[in-house]
Amino acid sequence: MGTIDIIKLAASALLSAGALIGFLVLRAKAAAEPDNKKIKKRKKLFFFLVIAAAWFFTGTVLHILIGGSKGIVVEFEMFPERITLFGVSFAITSVIMWGVTGVVLILALLFRLFAVPKFKVDAPTGIQNVFEIAVEFVENHTKTNVHGKTGSLSCYLFSLAILMFGCACAELFGLRAPTSDIAVTFSMSLITFFLINWYGIKNKRVSGRLKGLASPSPVIFPMRIVSDVAVPVSLACRLFGNMLGGMIVMELLKGAAGGYAFGIAPVAGLYFNLFHPLIQIYIFVTLSLTFINEACE
Amino acid sequence: MTAIGAALALLPALGAGIMMGFATAKATEAVARQPEASGKINSILLMGLALAESTAIYAFVIALIIATKI
Repeated sequence: MGTIDIIKLAASALLSAGALIGFLVLRAKAAAEPDNKKIKKRKKLFFFLVIAAAWFFTGTVLHILIGGSKGIVVEFEMFPERITLFGVSFAITSVIMWGVTGVVLILALLFRLFAVPKFKVDAPTGIQNVFEIAVEFVENHTKTNVHGKTGSLSCYLFSLAILMFGCACAELFGLRAPTSDIAVTFSMSLITFFLINWYGIKNKRVSGRLKGLASPSPVIFPMRIVSDVAVPVSLACRLFGNMLGGMIVMELLKGAAGGYAFGIAPVAGLYFNLFHPLIQIYIFVTLSLTFINEACE
Repeated sequence: MTAIGAALALLPALGAGIMMGFATAKATEAVARQPEASGKINSILLMGLALAESTAIYAFVIALIIATKI
């Protein structure tokens, strides 16, 4: 703890105390004369000043507790660390994935047991509206993108989206998102690869699927095979790269800001850990549907 | 040397950025001309952006592989 730290701590404590006293005085004044606009404006200003000063004070305390600035420290591994459970070595992401799956399953069960019996057919309210919009969106998206027999494809895509969103939410709790492990994303895209061929064969039989692969001329057949095999690789790498990129940006932010990351990291995390994964989920689902449609036509 | 190699591996991001800009410009023009088709244009634009972005993502993954020396 150097002299600069002590000066910072004293300055931030004085600032927050002053701002708090000013805010309290102004609040008492505003209560005395309710129609004075100038005092109201000043009260608002002091309110934000109190928040900023409190953030600065807490950040300084955390900074000192962590042990001062060590420069930018970024700790991440491209492949997740491993832990041993019951004598078997597991990647940490697969253990987190079990947790996410369990939470999603329990939430679904609670939803089915307590929320679904209260649903009304004619006048939907509250949470029923939200779920109806989500389910209808996925169903319409599937129907407009795939021309042909789709069966229960939309159910699979909806559950996949929910699971991927759960994985993204795990990062908000400080855990490593399972989707930032290439094994998880690759297994998801392998399911897509299986579905492409499944729906292609279901809609056009085996002969039609093979004919579709050799469509302009038989010479192109090997190239089409290679590009079809490249589909799951590209899907997996896209999702993996995006999730890992978001994680690294967050780690950089935490490493660079040190104790002051308090209050900034959650706001930035709303974009990097929630909004960005939502776009990636949309893209994953849409690309899967496009490739399935290509095989169906 | 590894740092320079990793930085060089990120060159495809240049092309991806330029082309995503072009795609967005064209989509804006299309929406300005036909505002009623904005929903369809939006979904097609997102698809194209995802495909253009994937080159940058491959570059990023390869740069990570070089940087962490796997």
